[in-house]
Amino acid sequence: MAATSTRYILICSGKGGVGKTTLTANLGIALAKQGARTAVLDADFGLRNLDLLLGLENRIVYTAQEVLAETCRLEQALVKHKQEPNLALLPAGNPRMLEWLQPDDMRKISAMLGEHFDYVLIDAPAGIEGGFKNAMAAAREAIVVTTPEVSAVRDADRVIGLLNSEGVKPIQLVLNRVRPKMMANQEMLAVSDVTDILALPLLGLILEDEQVIVSTNRGEPLTLTGNSSPAGRAYTNVARRLQGEEVPIIDPSKERQGFRAKIGRLMQTKIF
Amino acid sequence: MELEPARGALLVPDESGRGSHWLVLPAASQTPLPALVQQAIDSGALLGDGQIEGRVLLDAGSWRLNLSQLGELQRILGERGLELVTICSSQPHTHVAAAGLGIVSQWPNSTAPASPAKPDSELQVHRGTLRSGDHLETAGSVLLLGDVNPGARISAAGHVLVWGRLRGIAHAGCQGDNTACIVALQLRPLQLRIAGAVARGPEGAPPAGFAEEARIVAGAIQIDPAQPVWPISD
Ligand SMILES: Nc1ncnc2c1ncn2[C@@H]1O[C@H](COP(=O)(O)OP(=O)(O)OP(=O)(O)O)[C@@H](O)[C@H]1O
Ligand SMILES: [Mg+2]
Repeated sequence: MAATSTRYILICSGKGGVGKTTLTANLGIALAKQGARTAVLDADFGLRNLDLLLGLENRIVYTAQEVLAETCRLEQALVKHKQEPNLALLPAGNPRMLEWLQPDDMRKISAMLGEHFDYVLIDAPAGIEGGFKNAMAAAREAIVVTTPEVSAVRDADRVIGLLNSEGVKPIQLVLNRVRPKMMANQEMLAVSDVTDILALPLLGLILEDEQVIVSTNRGEPLTLTGNSSPAGRAYTNVARRLQGEEVPIIDPSKERQGFRAKIGRLMQTKIF
Repeated sequence: MELEPARGALLVPDESGRGSHWLVLPAASQTPLPALVQQAIDSGALLGDGQIEGRVLLDAGSWRLNLSQLGELQRILGERGLELVTICSSQPHTHVAAAGLGIVSQWPNSTAPASPAKPDSELQVHRGTLRSGDHLETAGSVLLLGDVNPGARISAAGHVLVWGRLRGIAHAGCQGDNTACIVALQLRPLQLRIAGAVARGPEGAPPAGFAEEARIVAGAIQIDPAQPVWPISD
């Protein structure tokens, strides 16, 4: 049963450690919960950890490497999530795989996944070298993750240039690790500073949240447990917007105020 | 009707000493680029004698190549132990793609100015924002319809005109013309260069609502509201 309109989405950043893998895991779970058949593909063959974040590390038998070598079937390599059967992980091969993997291999893998899933999320490695280019080959659209820091924004911009020249479209932006207080005090780039330079539609805004670290260590993404922490809600909203629902972006500078103040916190959506 | 037989790519020895051979693409071809290049190398389509080895220069003419096409070419050459070191092209898009791969690119001699005294005879128009890492370089003057983001560079032998926000690095008169100017709707570059002069961009928010221009005045770069005249003479 082929899904004709599978969306192949690359999750990338340029700079490392800005939250690509965390977003992939949370978004994967959230989409699955919303009823979409979702595959997450770990394209970070060097430093894989998507399996860890999803709590699936100990259930991996085969990997993309064996699928490509045709020593196992795709179905055997896919690891289904226990609580969210709509979500499956295709694990990366071992790090040596980098040496022989070509963009064509990635295209092959993603085409195979397209036959079974509505969404294929591809967790890209940091950087703009071979590993990133392989990951990009498997994608049609992209989500660029950045933090409100000059260096992360600069690298994101570089990546957007590469995505543009490959015709990857649409490209949307997720701004991660936002600290409302620092933003309000102008100690951090403002949301508008970032969107001004990158000139991309904002798909989501995720606050700095220690629950992210707690959930990472447990191997249970925030979106899985229905955790209503700020980041958990933001990840769920990213998934809803991706599905075409209109969910207003929450003003970070008002997030930390009392519960009552939150009622009036919806931003004018026209800004984005 | 029969199609004209496709003309192939040629390998011409390089005299500049920068590489072994120029790989010259035909003006137009029915054959896809990778096959064209494969054929040229396999058939030894050599003009003049000698073994191709080491470094290859690409004359892409007016081919509009994107990053993946150039990357593919680089890979094909790489498989034969050949390194693509320079690209000559008349297409801004190809230059941007080359910059993306870190390959030196140049404009064909014919579009280069006859003398540094008259660099503004040619105007290249480029549509689209230059993002971090991009470098657009033109032989005459350049009109960019878009922004120059931080980390991007734009340079021209003549004037640099930016219909957008200039926040990266701009170099006008890069072959020595110190009458060249840099104009932008919003001029907040990291760095400005005109001929041999260098200046850091101004700090603070730009005055809203009017374009600014930079010129050399008494040996130093000075920024003023842009003059309401087109700087390029015919
Ligand atoms: N919103 C957030 N709040 C707090 N911590 C976060 C947030 N997002 C990510 N982190 C933390 O940042 C670290 C890096 O995150 P992650 O591994 O997702 O980044 P990455 O972009 O995939 O990194 P790499 O480039 O190495 O693949 C992790 O320790 C994660 O827990
Ligand atoms: Mg990661």
